[in-house]
Amino acid sequence: MGLVEYEQELISIPVIVDVPYRFAAGKYMTKFLTELRDNGRFFGIRCPICNRVQLPPRVVCAVCHVKNREWVELSCQGTLVGFTIMYLPLTDPTTGKPHEPPFSYGSVRLDGSDSVIDHFLNVEPDVQKISVGMRMKAVFKPREQRVGDLSDILHFDPIPE
Amino acid sequence: MKRNVAIIGGGQTHHAARRHDVNQVEMVNEAVRAALSDARTTIDEIDAVLVGNMEFFEGCHMTDCWLVDGTGAYGKPGLKITTGGTVGATIVCAGVHHVASGLFDRVLCVGFEKQEEGDTGAILSGVAHPLFGRSMAGAAVGYFAMMATSYMAAWGAKEEHSAMVAVKARQNARKNEYAHLKLDINIQDVLNSRMLAYPIRMLDMCPASNGACAIILADETTAKDRCEKPVWIRAMDTAHNEQFELDWRDVTTQKSIFSRVSAARIYKRLGVNKPTDYFDVFEIYEPATWAEMVWYEDLGLCGPGEGFKLIENNKTGIDGPIPVNPSGGILSTNCIGASAMLRVWEAALQIRGDAGGHQVPKEVRRALATAYGGTNWTVLTALSRNIDD
Repeated sequence: MGLVEYEQELISIPVIVDVPYRFAAGKYMTKFLTELRDNGRFFGIRCPICNRVQLPPRVVCAVCHVKNREWVELSCQGTLVGFTIMYLPLTDPTTGKPHEPPFSYGSVRLDGSDSVIDHFLNVEPDVQKISVGMRMKAVFKPREQRVGDLSDILHFDPIPE
Repeated sequence: MKRNVAIIGGGQTHHAARRHDVNQVEMVNEAVRAALSDARTTIDEIDAVLVGNMEFFEGCHMTDCWLVDGTGAYGKPGLKITTGGTVGATIVCAGVHHVASGLFDRVLCVGFEKQEEGDTGAILSGVAHPLFGRSMAGAAVGYFAMMATSYMAAWGAKEEHSAMVAVKARQNARKNEYAHLKLDINIQDVLNSRMLAYPIRMLDMCPASNGACAIILADETTAKDRCEKPVWIRAMDTAHNEQFELDWRDVTTQKSIFSRVSAARIYKRLGVNKPTDYFDVFEIYEPATWAEMVWYEDLGLCGPGEGFKLIENNKTGIDGPIPVNPSGGILSTNCIGASAMLRVWEAALQIRGDAGGHQVPKEVRRALATAYGGTNWTVLTALSRNIDD
């Protein structure tokens, strides 16, 4: 019996785990997604106490602890509040495939909403061509290609000034 | 707290990008042995073991079970904690509560991550809500990149300010024998490093590290009996954020977000009027340079929108009036499940005067450690050298 020598061969074993998931959207989120899919419209939900129009729609206002009941149609236009140009081929967890870099994405506050939505920006990945405060407009996939999730939005287009 | 609680010992591994020489159990055991030795105790004297990491990063779940040989938890009470970037501080927080309540006198806390064994970036995207924006989830780097563009647009900070934070961290790390990225870099090196997600470059971001940290907590009687330099846990506070809302990515937000809420509460509890006067050193959780500047503001080390001026004027250097992360911080070492515990441990080392090469050159009586985790919450820990301080 000898002691294990540090200089010995060291084995590490690759393992790939491919796990499928399926998430229930719930009633409120389903309403949001079916409006997106069937009518190309955004719906938020307004809190009766603080009046914030929240996205994604949720049953209870986290701040006021009351049930949200009032559906509010939002504009497809909004303002960019933050963005990045991604140079890494990050894996899209919804597909398991990487997005092709470079690509730009950002957070857009839709007019009429207190929350933001994150999506691709149809802007050349050039920092001179994107800025916080830019006006943006949602572009949807053709009706027959929509499936009832956020991929029904193709991207946000800049609105020319 | 019902009973006073002190850190009576701790330890850490030498953090690195590659640790193929050890498996998870063996790596964790290095920190556990260091902590037991530092506290001059043995595993037989430990009442309970709390362990944590982000187990889905390594894809090996039930780490509380698999790691028993390394943590020393065999046959002892204990549990596993998995709370994102906050893991390490959450373990300490739970340990403190267990000792303060009187349930246990000596608790061993262990946090670790062996990032090389999984794909943290890919898994981190799974931290995002599955139905709202996960497709866009750009790991941590995309999140902080959006924070950065918001910060630059709102306050007029430049990429150079981010680079100053990056340089400070790595130059401090060179003084810390355990740090991962000990880089002799300057501002130009940062600005020349590869762009990952505008405006965040390679050197603006934390590394993926392998490492572990362990801390031993004890009640007042044990601490005074057994420890020459106990470090007292004066207060802890945690706060979560409202989900789906902009939180840290809109730096102009007026909302009561987690970092400000938690800081206000812990300051009130301790009677802190001016945190820069009250605390002698800060160990904060900054996965990206921009997060450090936002922490400056949210902790009240400066006014809103002034964080970048603090680094510009070198106020937060190791020998500055408000030393922040003399250890090199997360930007130099990020073994996630250990990272927030390392903030607490590094704060304790500063108070003990045992930080070695990165000991701040002034008297340290009090320190504040922060943790930060997706999807936006924090654990703050205030420590002191004197029990009544």
